[in-house]
Amino acid sequence: MGRTLLVFRLAARDLRRRPAEAVLLLLALTAATATLTLGLILNGVISEPYQSTREATAGPDVIASLGRLHGAETGPDPAALKALTDAPGVVAHSGPYLYTQAALEAGGVTVRVWAQGRHTSPADVDQPKVTEGNWVRDGGAVLEAGLAQALGASAGDRITLGGRSFQVAGVAVTAAMPPYPKVCYSPCRYGAAAQNAPPPPIESLPPTSKAGPPPGAFWMGASGLIWLSEADAQSFAKQTQSLGYLVNLKLADPAGAATFVRGHFQNLVTAPSLATWQDVFDGHMWLIEAQRTALMGGTWLLGLIALGSIAVLVGGRMTDQLRRVGLLKAVGGTPGLVAAVLLAEHVAVALLATVAGLVTGWLAAPLLTEPGAALLGSAATPAVTPATAGLVAAVALGIAGLASFVPAVRAARTSTVRALADVPRPPRRAARLIAISARLPVPLLLAVRAAARRPRRTLLAVAGVAVSVTGIVAALSVHADRYAEKAPGTDPRTGLSQALLMVAIMLVVQAAVNAICIIWATTLDARRSSALARALGATPDQVSAGLAAAQALPALAGALLGLAGGIGLAEVLNEDAVVIPPPWQLAAVILGAVAVVTALTAVPARIGARRSVGEILRTEAA
Amino acid sequence: MTQANGSLPGIGPVLRTQDLQMRYGRGAGLVRALNGVELEAAAGEAVAVMGPSGSGKSTLLNLLGGLERPSAGEVWLAGNRIDGMSEKELARLRRQSIGFVFQAFHLMDELTAQENVELPALLAGRSPRTARRRAAQLLERVGLDDRAGHLPSAMSGGERQRVAVARALVNEPLIVLADEPTGNLDSAATADVLRLLDGLRAAGQTLVIVTHDARVTAIADRLITMRDGSLVEETRLTRGTVGRLAELTGLEG
Amino acid sequence: MCGVEVRAVDVSGKEPSSGYRLRVVQEVLLALLAKEASYGYQLRAQLQLALGPLADALNAGQVYVTLNRLEKAGLATAERVGQSDRPDRKVYRLTAAGHERVVEWLGDMSWPKAAPTEFHLKLVAAAAAGLANPAHLVDAQRHAVLVELAAAQRAALTEPHGSVAGLLLEGVVLRLQADLTWLDACARHWSSRKEP
Repeated sequence: MGRTLLVFRLAARDLRRRPAEAVLLLLALTAATATLTLGLILNGVISEPYQSTREATAGPDVIASLGRLHGAETGPDPAALKALTDAPGVVAHSGPYLYTQAALEAGGVTVRVWAQGRHTSPADVDQPKVTEGNWVRDGGAVLEAGLAQALGASAGDRITLGGRSFQVAGVAVTAAMPPYPKVCYSPCRYGAAAQNAPPPPIESLPPTSKAGPPPGAFWMGASGLIWLSEADAQSFAKQTQSLGYLVNLKLADPAGAATFVRGHFQNLVTAPSLATWQDVFDGHMWLIEAQRTALMGGTWLLGLIALGSIAVLVGGRMTDQLRRVGLLKAVGGTPGLVAAVLLAEHVAVALLATVAGLVTGWLAAPLLTEPGAALLGSAATPAVTPATAGLVAAVALGIAGLASFVPAVRAARTSTVRALADVPRPPRRAARLIAISARLPVPLLLAVRAAARRPRRTLLAVAGVAVSVTGIVAALSVHADRYAEKAPGTDPRTGLSQALLMVAIMLVVQAAVNAICIIWATTLDARRSSALARALGATPDQVSAGLAAAQALPALAGALLGLAGGIGLAEVLNEDAVVIPPPWQLAAVILGAVAVVTALTAVPARIGARRSVGEILRTEAA
Repeated sequence: MTQANGSLPGIGPVLRTQDLQMRYGRGAGLVRALNGVELEAAAGEAVAVMGPSGSGKSTLLNLLGGLERPSAGEVWLAGNRIDGMSEKELARLRRQSIGFVFQAFHLMDELTAQENVELPALLAGRSPRTARRRAAQLLERVGLDDRAGHLPSAMSGGERQRVAVARALVNEPLIVLADEPTGNLDSAATADVLRLLDGLRAAGQTLVIVTHDARVTAIADRLITMRDGSLVEETRLTRGTVGRLAELTGLEG
Repeated sequence: MCGVEVRAVDVSGKEPSSGYRLRVVQEVLLALLAKEASYGYQLRAQLQLALGPLADALNAGQVYVTLNRLEKAGLATAERVGQSDRPDRKVYRLTAAGHERVVEWLGDMSWPKAAPTEFHLKLVAAAAAGLANPAHLVDAQRHAVLVELAAAQRAALTEPHGSVAGLLLEGVVLRLQADLTWLDACARHWSSRKEP
């Protein structure tokens, strides 16, 4: 009991003795736990709304569509689809429904849409659920909710469709198609069945008019979904010659939808495109998945930097800790006690960081789950489950344990006498760098030597900046990518940018914390050598500039590494070819990283340069 | 001080202070580290300032080298008043005119003896080649040419201090200021360093050494005793023979 | 100015004293003879080597005077050796009694008195009688000791590495340093007392 009390008392004293370091440690850990929490919360946030939408709209298990091929003499034959409705295992169906394409213009934004002709009476399978306004009528279109959101359109608005004026009759959700802009009917193909099949040959299409698709063919790529009355759909199909039919199938065994599709799939351009409800679900999930990937990737990066910061903090205090350890051992403390004190300190910080991270993540999560608009009901309120909390705590404690383990082992191994003698870790010697630096101007000479004194710390500084810049550049690349292929209106996929922005902000914060840790340790470490350089005739400006350059050079190296790493990471994360962000953005990131690090260093360096040399040399006597 | 101290005719003292004051703190906590110190050192003179610890010797030396600024009074080095100089001017002065030797050696641990000696020359903007040549000469002069490539951690205290002396000389300073140069050394190493400093004195180097080690008197032309921030006594040590030493042997009946 | 007292002390000013009676020289010479019979000049050279600069205290005749005394006391015997080109010389040899005396000397544990009793009493008496300010006496004494120390250290610096005489000089220096430390303590004590 007394022993436990002692451990806690020593730990509390030590934390209070160095509040700034405790705060830095807390910040570093919190950034990592908050991101991890976000990533975990987003997991499964969508599946519930999709299920309820599927129930409310009598969502199909399989969607089959067949569109007219470019150059085909006649329209597609609905008989192929009708055959599917009679296939074994099919218990219900709706359709065939006619579909065509048109250009939709609302509020100055033009979007390509697939228009599906529907009866005014409800269908047995896939009856879209109207969330606003009414169901289709002649002259009145119903917009898929994702599309309506992207356009900012609502019931009653006037829109132009294929050059004709329409009214928005209502807004509806469906479980039969992924949201805007991922709408895709034959001859477009998607889903598990089509994935491994070679794509049908794409012929050069005749030029398209502004109002409609190429005559007798379809646009591919980003587009939305609307429902029209049958008559309206017919008349558009006549006008553009773009024509297709679709059926929605309900199976006896919804879970076997993939098997059903595989059984009926033919890799022929004249065969129907088949998609399962799972494919649709994946389409809804894609954004969330991407956000999760971004956040999880971000968490890893943040975790890495956090570890770096903690290593620097712990390493910078090693001398101090070793002396404490020596004192404790001299009065009869065991290495175990010493380790327990260190561990207690770090665990306390880790627990605080866990709570702070969970709260931050929980508060930030709604910002990222907004795009669930294409489904019924708002996304389930993100909840912090015990599992999430447990995992976050475990990670935080794991980092804390690791951070305690190394110094504890080293401390236990150090002889009491040596620890008391307060022998600091001798600086490294990099003969080549020292020789080269002799040729450099004084500030750079001091900078190179300061950096070479602690190569591991310098590498950590490089790594910290590299990881942050990697994250930021990856975010910029993906962002640029999204915008390069951005669909008109508010493309919900750019919601990924929000996640990336959040990760980027966290990375910047974390990198700043890391830089502060490193600068703190370096400034402490360089106090004596800086004072000595001044005693030997270096001006305070030269010494300050040297210290700043000692941080700026690794930051520059790290930023350049991060640039390459970020583009590489985006390449890995993105299936499509990566769009390199504009050069000015990259230049801004690199210069920004260097400038921030330099500015952070300049402050302590200047303060140090003001102190009297005599005083420093007296207190820092070796 | 009332007398000129044997400075060469036509040349004033290299170093001179006037009514030097140094105070720390205020109110009840006011410490008068220096209280009206007047000191002169002529060219080529070796001055030892002795006193118990806390008498203000180190503060005096820091003021003489421009490492700290006095609360009041003047410090003149080679005809220039330095107590009001900017940090930049002081830095230039230090690298051109002053060489420091510290009790704690203050060598850079990661630099070899040679590199440590080169450092002030590089800070003064000499070319690497000049710095290297000069450092090699000085290491030879302090008898450490065979240790040039060693790190301080591989050297004895006496060797380190000799490296520090070589470093102090690399820019051919007007004056060498030494703060307890033998403070961390054993008898044999003390003798080595004293011999080295004596050699400098003989070669005409102006030296000011503050110390509580009375052995330093062996190489001083003048001994100034400090107590409680003031100079209380000055002794001129003429270099005589060891005639009276015999009395010290205790061999008399 | 500022109460700084200037003194000029010429260390060389004093003539070397002569005619020391070297009490221990007898025993030293006997001990040196214990190994083998030697000429007087050989013994003198050995002493000079051991004393270094301090050997100036020995005047040339002293070794021979002492050897004569040893011979008379029956502690050593002397034998004249003829030399073809020079005057005859004496070879000295240890007797049994001399040997006994050497052993006795080596076993003698007496140590020079270290207590500066006389100076201490001088201060006490001066203070009591009001004859002089003890602090001033201490300063003067300190000054004298400093000068002696400077000379001794300077002599030590001229000794080559590993010289046996250097060891003796180091002993002198260390003792004077101890004296200085004690004088500082005296100064603190007597200057902190209220002037009568």
